Amino acid sequence: MRIFPKDMKEIILTIDGSKVTVPEGTTVLEAACSAGIYIPTLCSDEGLEPYGACRMCIVEIDGIKGLPTSCTTAVSDGMTVRTDTEEVNKVRRMICEMLIADHPADCLSCSSNQKCELQKVASYLGVTQQRLEKTKRESILDNSNPFFGRDLSKCILCGRCVRACREIRGVGAIDIAGRGDASHIATITDVPISESVCESCGECVDRCPVGALAVKTEILPPTREVKTLCPYCGCGCGLVLGVRGGRIVSIRGDTDNVVNRGSLCVKGRFGLDFVGAHDRLTTPLIRRNGKLEKASWAEALELVASRFREIKDKAGPDALAGFSSAKCTNEENYVFQKFMRAVLGTNNVDHCARLCHASTVAGLARTFGSGAMTNSIGEIEHADCIFVTGSNTTEAHPVIALKIKAAVQKHGASLILADPRRIDLARFAALHLRQRSGTDVALLNAMMNVIISEGLGNKDFIASRTEGFEEFKKSVEDAVPERAAEITGVPADLIRQAARMYAKAQRASIIYSMGITQHTTGTDNVLALANLAMITGNLGKESTGVNPLRGQNNVQGACDLGALPDVYPGYQKVDDPAIKKKFEDAWGGSLSEKPGLTLVEIMNAAAEKRVKGLYIMGENPMLSDPNLNHVKEALEHLEFLCVQDIFLSETAQLADVVLPAASFAEKDGTFTNTERRVQMVHKACEPPGEARQDWEIICELAARLGYAMPYRAPSGIMAEIASVTPIYAGISFDRLEENGLQWPCPDRSHPGTAVLHQAKFPCGKGKFHPTPFREAAELPDEQYPYLLTTGRYLYHFHTGTLSRRSAGLEIISPSAPFEINPGDAAREGVVEGDLVELATRRGVVRARAVLTERSPAGTIFMPFHFKEGAANMLTNDALDPVAKIPEFKVCAVRVSKLNP
Amino acid sequence: MTFTQIQQKARSVWKAFAGEDRLRILVGTGTCGRAAGAIEVIEAIRDWLKRERIEARVYEVGCLGLCYAEPLVELGRPGAPRLLYGNVTIENVELILHDYFKEGRLPSDLALAVMGEKSIEGIPALMDHPMLKGQVRVVLRNCGLIDPANIDHYLARGGYAGLAKTLAMSPDKVIEEIIKSGLRGRGGAGFPTGMKWEYCRRSAGSRKYMICNADEGDPGAFMDRAVIESDPHSVIEGMTIAAYAIGASEGYIYVRAEYPLAIERLENAIVQAEDYALLGDNVLDSGHRFHIKLKQGAGAFVCGEETALLASIEGKRGMPRPRPPFPAQEGLHGKPTNINNVETLANVPAIMEHGSEWFARHGTDKSRGTKTFALAGKIVRTGLIEVPLGISLGEIVFEIGGGIPGNKKIKAVQTGGPSGGCIPAKLLDMPVDYEKLAAAGAIMGSGGMVVMDEDTCMVDIARYFVEFTHSESCGKCVPCRLGTKQMLQILNRITKGEGRLEDIDLLLQIAATMKQGALCGLGQTAPNPVLTTIRYFRDEYEAHIKRKKCPAAVCRGLVKAPCMHTCPAGVHVPRYMRYIAAGRYSDALDVIMEKIPFPSICGYVCFHPCETKCRRGDLDDPIAVRALKRFAAERGIRRRRKRAPKAKPTGRRVAVVGSGPAGLTAAFYLGKLGHKVAVFERDTQPGGTLRTGIPGFRLPRNVIDEEIERIMKASRFSIRTNSSNISALKLLKRGYDAVLLACGAQKGLKMGIEGEDDAGVFDCLTFLKRFNSSENTNLGGRVSVIGGGSSAMDAARAALRAGAREVTVLYRRTRVEMPAAAEEVEEALEEGVNMEFLTAPTAIHRKNGALILKCIRMQPGPMDDSGRARPVPIDGSSFDKQVDAVIMAVGQAPEDTFASDCKADRGGRIQVDEDTFQTNCNGVFAAGDLVTGPASIIEAIAAGRLAACSIDRYLGGQGIIAEVVAPDKEEESGEMLEEQDAVPRIEIPKRAPKDRVADGGQVELCYSEQSALAEAARCLRCDLEQEQE
Repeated sequence: MRIFPKDMKEIILTIDGSKVTVPEGTTVLEAACSAGIYIPTLCSDEGLEPYGACRMCIVEIDGIKGLPTSCTTAVSDGMTVRTDTEEVNKVRRMICEMLIADHPADCLSCSSNQKCELQKVASYLGVTQQRLEKTKRESILDNSNPFFGRDLSKCILCGRCVRACREIRGVGAIDIAGRGDASHIATITDVPISESVCESCGECVDRCPVGALAVKTEILPPTREVKTLCPYCGCGCGLVLGVRGGRIVSIRGDTDNVVNRGSLCVKGRFGLDFVGAHDRLTTPLIRRNGKLEKASWAEALELVASRFREIKDKAGPDALAGFSSAKCTNEENYVFQKFMRAVLGTNNVDHCARLCHASTVAGLARTFGSGAMTNSIGEIEHADCIFVTGSNTTEAHPVIALKIKAAVQKHGASLILADPRRIDLARFAALHLRQRSGTDVALLNAMMNVIISEGLGNKDFIASRTEGFEEFKKSVEDAVPERAAEITGVPADLIRQAARMYAKAQRASIIYSMGITQHTTGTDNVLALANLAMITGNLGKESTGVNPLRGQNNVQGACDLGALPDVYPGYQKVDDPAIKKKFEDAWGGSLSEKPGLTLVEIMNAAAEKRVKGLYIMGENPMLSDPNLNHVKEALEHLEFLCVQDIFLSETAQLADVVLPAASFAEKDGTFTNTERRVQMVHKACEPPGEARQDWEIICELAARLGYAMPYRAPSGIMAEIASVTPIYAGISFDRLEENGLQWPCPDRSHPGTAVLHQAKFPCGKGKFHPTPFREAAELPDEQYPYLLTTGRYLYHFHTGTLSRRSAGLEIISPSAPFEINPGDAAREGVVEGDLVELATRRGVVRARAVLTERSPAGTIFMPFHFKEGAANMLTNDALDPVAKIPEFKVCAVRVSKLNP
Repeated sequence: MTFTQIQQKARSVWKAFAGEDRLRILVGTGTCGRAAGAIEVIEAIRDWLKRERIEARVYEVGCLGLCYAEPLVELGRPGAPRLLYGNVTIENVELILHDYFKEGRLPSDLALAVMGEKSIEGIPALMDHPMLKGQVRVVLRNCGLIDPANIDHYLARGGYAGLAKTLAMSPDKVIEEIIKSGLRGRGGAGFPTGMKWEYCRRSAGSRKYMICNADEGDPGAFMDRAVIESDPHSVIEGMTIAAYAIGASEGYIYVRAEYPLAIERLENAIVQAEDYALLGDNVLDSGHRFHIKLKQGAGAFVCGEETALLASIEGKRGMPRPRPPFPAQEGLHGKPTNINNVETLANVPAIMEHGSEWFARHGTDKSRGTKTFALAGKIVRTGLIEVPLGISLGEIVFEIGGGIPGNKKIKAVQTGGPSGGCIPAKLLDMPVDYEKLAAAGAIMGSGGMVVMDEDTCMVDIARYFVEFTHSESCGKCVPCRLGTKQMLQILNRITKGEGRLEDIDLLLQIAATMKQGALCGLGQTAPNPVLTTIRYFRDEYEAHIKRKKCPAAVCRGLVKAPCMHTCPAGVHVPRYMRYIAAGRYSDALDVIMEKIPFPSICGYVCFHPCETKCRRGDLDDPIAVRALKRFAAERGIRRRRKRAPKAKPTGRRVAVVGSGPAGLTAAFYLGKLGHKVAVFERDTQPGGTLRTGIPGFRLPRNVIDEEIERIMKASRFSIRTNSSNISALKLLKRGYDAVLLACGAQKGLKMGIEGEDDAGVFDCLTFLKRFNSSENTNLGGRVSVIGGGSSAMDAARAALRAGAREVTVLYRRTRVEMPAAAEEVEEALEEGVNMEFLTAPTAIHRKNGALILKCIRMQPGPMDDSGRARPVPIDGSSFDKQVDAVIMAVGQAPEDTFASDCKADRGGRIQVDEDTFQTNCNGVFAAGDLVTGPASIIEAIAAGRLAACSIDRYLGGQGIIAEVVAPDKEEESGEMLEEQDAVPRIEIPKRAPKDRVADGGQVELCYSEQSALAEAARCLRCDLEQEQE
C-alpha cells in the first residue's frame, strides 16, 4: 500500500455500484482492492510503479474511451467504474488464453503450483478450454545462482522482477531484452545471473507470479508459516518461515512488516541454513583432560554454578564478568544482566555493542540525552537530503539502503555520501566525499564552518533548543574547507557543496554507522554529527535526525535491557542510589553501585587475572574483538570460562563448559531493531537435541546459585522489564503483534515514539560540544605503509558463525579477501586472486587480493567475517577515551606478496 | 545581420544558382537517387565536362518525387529551356549532355519535362507531367528544386519568413492561426496540431520540450526521409515556430539512424540556422531561445509511438507507457512536451507565411491541406507525391501513378503501413481523408501507399504485416506481444494450407482483443491489415482454408508452381513441360491425362489461367502452355502407355445429365471406378458446349469426336442422345443410385432493352449452335455483336464466316477490360471484326423494315466491385446504327429444364454442398456451369472430376481416382532455373486471316517440334524451387 500524506483529499467513486472512498492519487485498482473487489492482474505488485502491461485489470469507466487499465488510472470524484462486465471479461479471457498458450502449463510439476497467479486468474476467468494453439517458447534456463533458478519458458513478461530489481532494490541487474515475441528477461550483456550485479536478494523470486523464478530448495510447500524476525542485522526485517515436519522449508519477507514490507537481503532470504546445521550444539560439553566432552545438563550446570560460586567466594563478585548477546532476545538479555547483577553481584556485564556503537551511546547521550536513532527507517524515503557517512548501507543494512535508494530514485532526494571507499551507494550520490579514514571530524567541522559562515544555520532552533553554541562556533572558526581539504583529501569546493546541500534541505537526515563509531575519535565523530544536525535544526521532525544504524539484530535491545556495565535496563545509572534502590527492591538483595568493566577492559582484566571467571552468552570475541592474539591470551588466563552458544565457536572451543542454546527460530521473545522498534520473535521449530533457550539456562543456573527466577515464559519477563524500565513501560507482548512498538513507550496507552526529541531533549537542551580534530591512534608509516580499514560484506555477517554455514553464501563469497587499489597492487606486484600476507604491529594474516577502485589509493579494506583470514588479528585495540570503543577502522598495515 | 539582410544575401546566392546566364546541371541525390546510381552519374557528368572542357556548375538537389525515373538530371543553358531527364545512366548520360550542350538539340527521348511553366513540343511543362499534374505542393515546395545543403536557397524561396512573422505575434495568436488552418497531425492519427500545441502551452511548468518525430518506420514509406533530405530547413523552421508557440527552448529531432543522409543534412542545417541566429539563444533578436539536438533512433518501429520515443530519448528501453498522462502534461523528463511529425512541421512555415486561409483552401472540411504519399507497389509511377486531401484513391493510382503495370488488375491499396488496412479496388472512389479511411478500416498513417494487383495474395499480405508488427512489437503488453504471435501462427498455417474453419473467427477475436486491450497504438492497430483483408477478401481466406488454394498463386506452402496451382484441374504443368523439352511427348501427355481426360480439347481451347500466373511472364512472356498441351496431345498419342485398368463392376448405376465437359469427365471417372454410367444428352450429338458453343475454326469437330470416343472406350459408359423429358427424380425412380446434373448454362441472357425480342435479334448461344451445326446463319450484311466475352468473339467471327459483310462488336467498356482472351480479340480484329468500345445499345427499333440499334457512348465512371471503372452514359451522345442483325452476347444462365427438382438460386444456379456437390435432393449431384454459372471448360472438367469422387464415396467407394501414369521421379531432381535472359515466347503458328475466314477452317496450327522444344525449354521449373527459409 502506498503512503499518502495525511492531509490528502478524499475521493468518492462508484465501483460496481458501491460507493468507495479513497485518498486522492489512489489508482482504480487500489480503490477496488480496498473495497474488497477482485480485479485480476498479473503485472501489478505492491510497491512497484504501475506498469500497465498485462492488460488484465482493464475496466469500464464512464467517460473514458475504451477499456482503461485500472492499475494506471487514478480515481477522480464521481467516477463510475465497472470491473466485471462481459465486454471486459471477454478481452481478459482471450489475453489469458494467449498467455496460457504461450506457457508450458506444466502445473503439476511446477513449484509454483497453487500459488501461481496465472493459474488463479485463469481459474477466475473460467479459462479452461484452449482454442488457441500453443505458441513456441525457447526454454532458457539459468541455474547459475546458488539460491534460485530461472526458466524463461514460464515467464509471462510481467516485468515485476525487472521493476523490483530497479525500483525497489536499485540494482538493475536485469532488464527486458529483445523485441516483440523475442522479448525476454536478461542480465546486462546477457551473462549468467551469477556473473551479473545481482545481489541475490530474491526480491524478483518473491515477486514472480508464475514459476519462472523459483527457489531451488523450495520443493515442498510448508504446512504452516510462522512470522518472526530476521536474525542478522539491525534492520529488523519481518520474516515468514515456512515449516514442514519441524524443519524450515521456505523463507519469505513479511509483507505486513512495516520495516521491510516483504523485502529481504540475501542473508535473510537465503542464509538461514545454520538453524538446521548438522554441527549445532545438542548437548552440554565439559572440558575433561583438556578436551570438551559431552555431559548432562545437571553435571554441566552444577559445574558452572560451583565454579562461579568458588571464584566469587575467593576473589569477590568483580572477579566475575559476563558478555551478554546482541543476538539473543530482549528477555534473555534482561535475565542475563539480572543474573550478573543480582545473582553474581557484579556490574561486569557488557556485550559487543561496545565494539560498534559505544561511541554513539556516549556521544548522543551527552548531546541529546539518549543514544539511539532519533528517527525511523520509513522516514528516510521522504527526506530531501540524506547524508550518509561511515555506513556501507547497501551491504551492512541492505533493507535500510532500499529506503535511501527510493528517496533518491523515486522522490528526488539528494544523497551526500562521505566515505573513503566507493561503495555501492556512490551510484546514487549527488556528492561523494572520499575523506581519508579517520578524518571525519575535520570534514564535519569544515561543513559546519561553511554553514555558519554562509548563514545557512537554523538560528531559531539553535536559540530555542540548544546551548553552548557560541563556544562551539568559535571552535570551528578556523576549520575552513581549505584546511579540511588538506587533512581529509576532499576538495574544499566539494565540502562547500555538501554543506550547502545539507543545510538548505527542508528535511535532512544523517545516517551513520561503524565508519563513524569505530575510531579512537568515535565519540567526537558522533558529537560532530550531532552538532551538524543541531545547527541546521534537523532534529525532532520527520525525515531528519541523527541516525546510527545498529549492527546486530538485537544490539539495540541488549543495550536497552542493561547489558552494559554502567546502566540498568533503560539506561538507568548503576551509580544512582535511587535507581539502585529501585532495582534492589525489585530484584531483592543488594546490588553493586560500582559501574562494571567494559568489554575490552574485561579482556584486559582477564589477561591480568583480575577477572577470573567469564560467562559468555552468544558472543564470539575470538573473532569479533580487536587484537585477537591478545583476546586469546586473556581467555586462556581465565580460571573458568563458560560459553553458551548454538555452535562450538572459536570462543567456545576455549571454554571449560559449553552450554547448547536455541537459535532465534526456536524461541519466543522480542528483538529491538535499530529504530527502537520492539518486535515479536516467534518459535518456528524445536531446538535440536537437548539445546535450550538461553533464558531457561540462565534461570536454571540462578536456581543452582540459590536465586529463584521463576519465569514461565518470555512474556512474563517482558512484564517485569516493563515494570522497572520506564522507556519500555508500556510494552507487552499483546501489543506487539502488529508492527511492534518504538520506545520510549511510557505507558500501555502510548503508541510508541517514531521521532525522538520533538519538543525537547531528554537532557533539556541539546548541548554543543566542540570537537577539535585528532588523528587516529596509528597511521601508516614507512614500515606499515598502508591504512587498513575493516567492514562487512553483503553476503556474510559478523564473525560468520551463522552466514558461513550457508552453502550458497559461501559459493558467492568464499574465503578471506582483502581489497586493494589496483595502483597499490601494481606497486606491490600483486595481481587479482594472489594470496598475500598482511601484517600489522599486532598480527599477520593471509588473504586473497581483490583489485578494485572501491579502495582509495593507500587504503586496504578487509571484511572481518573470515576466521581463515581474520581481519581482527590486525586491528588496533586502541580505545576511544570516552566510549572505550576500539579503533577497528584505522590502523597501519604492510602488504607482502608471498613467494609462490 | 537583420532578417532582411539575411534575405537579401540569400537572394543574391539564389540568383547565381537559378540565373539563366550560365550552364548548370542539377542531379537529384536523395537516397532514392543515390540508390538508382545518381552519384555515379554525377561522376560521369564531371568526367564528360572535363573531357569536353565545358564549364558548367553541377549541383546536388533533393528528390522531386519522380522516383520511378531516377536518377533525374536537370540541364540548363542560356537561351534554352531547362530540361529534366529521367532514367539517366552512366551509359546514356554522355549522349544527353552531348545533345543538349554540344548540339543544342532539344529534346532527347529521355526528357521528362520542361522546367518552368511552358511546354515544348512533345515535352510537358514540369507541373503538367502526368505524375505532377494532380499534385499540390506545400510540403514538397522546395524538394528537388533547391540545394538542401544551402540555407540561402531555402531563404530565397521564402524560407524563415514564416518564422519572422511568427516572432512578431504572440504565442497564443500563433496557435490560433494553426488551429484556424485546420492542420492535423501527419504522423497518422490526425490530431489537430494547433490543439496539441495549446495543451502543451497550457501545461504548467517553465521547462518544455519540442520534439520532431522523424522515426519513419512503415514499410514502403519514405516521405519524411525525402523531406528532410531535400528541404531540412522547412522542418527546423516548423520546429522553431512550434517551440515559440508552446514555450519550449529545447528541441530534439528523433531520427532513424538508418537515414544517414537525412542526419547529415539536418546536422548541416542546424549549424547554418545557428549561424544566422535562426536558432540559438536569441532567435532573430526576439528573445526566443531555441536549440535543437539530434537523437538517433536505433531502428525500433515502436519508437514512433510518442511515449516510447520519449523513453528512448531518455536513454531507456523504448517501450510505451499508458496515457494519460499525455506528453503534453508529462513528457520528456517529466516535463510538458510537444511531439509533431516531420510533415506536420514542414507545413507550419508555409501556413505562417501565407496564412491559415491560404492553407485551408485545399482539402476537405475536416481534412484541410495536402498530404504526401509514398507510392509503391504494383504501380507504373512509383514515387513521392503530395495531393490535396479529398482526392480519390483512384485518381492517385491511375492518374498520378499511371495505373497498374502489365495490364494486371488492381486488387487493393494499402495505406498506413502495418497499422493501416487494405482498401479494396471497389472503394477506389473513396476520397482520401482521415475519416473516410478510418471508416474503411484503414488509416491515413504517415503516408505509405502500397498498390496491390491481382497477383497479390491478401492473406499473405496480412501475414506479412503481422510478421512485421510481431517482430516490432515492444513486447511489453500481452495482447500485442502474444496477439501478433498467435495471429502470425494462424496466418502461417492458413498460407501453408493447414488452416482450419474456425481460424477466421479466431483471428477476428484476437484482433478485437488487441484493439481493445493493447497498451499503445502499435498493438491497437496491428490487427488492421488482418481485419481489412478479412472484411474485403474473406473469400481468399476461405479459398486457402477450404480449398487449399491461393487464388493469387503466391503462398509458398500451397503453391508448388503458380501455373499448376492456378489450373482448376491441377495439371502438373512444369512436369510435362520438362517431358516435352526432353522429347518425351507421350510421357508429357500422360502427365496431362493424370488430371484431365480431354488433353486435345484443352490444347485447342483452354482458357489457360495457368499462363496468367506463369512466373516467366514477370521476365518476358508466359510459357505458351496451351499450345504446348496441344502439341503434346498430338505427338504423344502415338505411343501411349497403358493406363490403369477399369475397376471391377460395383453394380451401382449412375445417370449423368448433360454431355458437356463436366458430365463427360464425371462419366469417364465413374465408369473407370466400376459404376455403370449412362449419360443423357438432349442434343443429337454429345459434347454440350464443346460442340454447340465453340466454333469449329477454333475446335475442329473431329477432335471432339475422337476424344469422346476414346474416353467412352476406356471407361465404357453409354451416352443416350436425344434424351429429353427426364429429370433427376425420375432417373432415381428408374433405379439409378445417383444422378449427376451437368447440363450447363445454356440460356442466353437478355439486356432488358426495348425491342430486343425482334426477330433480327439473336441470342449468342442460339446463333452459335446453329452455326456449329452447319445451319445457314447468314444474317445479312451488317451484324452488331453486343458484349466483350469469349462468346461475343466467337459469334462475331462466326458471323463473318457465315457471310456478314460488316461485323461490329459493341462493348460498353474499354478493350483492356474485355473478358475475352486477348488472343481471341486479336484474332477477331485481324479477321476484320470492328470493335466499338465504350458504346452500349439502349434500344432496338424496326424502321421501315430496317433494324435501328440505338446506342450511346459511355465513359468510365466510379469503380465497381471488381475495381474496374463502371461505364456511365455520356449525356447527349446517343446515335443510331443501322444493322441487319444483332447478336446479344451478354451472359448465360442455366436452363431449368432438367434440374427443376433441385434448389437453385435466383440466377437459376443449382445450389450444392461445396464439398460433396450434392444438391438438396439426396443422391442428386450437380457440377459445372449449372452450379457456377458460365465458366471455363477446364473448370467444368475439374468440377466433373471432383463430383465423380464425391459420387463414388456416396456409392460406398473411396473416391480416389488419382493415378500416376507418367514416370516422374528422375525428373524431380533438377533445380529451378534462375537468372534467365529474356527470350520471348515462340509465336504460335496461325493461318492467314483471309484464308481462315474464307474456308472456315482452323485458325491456329500446332507448334512444330522445333518450336515446341524451344518453348518448353523456357519453363523456369518453379516446382523445383528450394524451400527458402
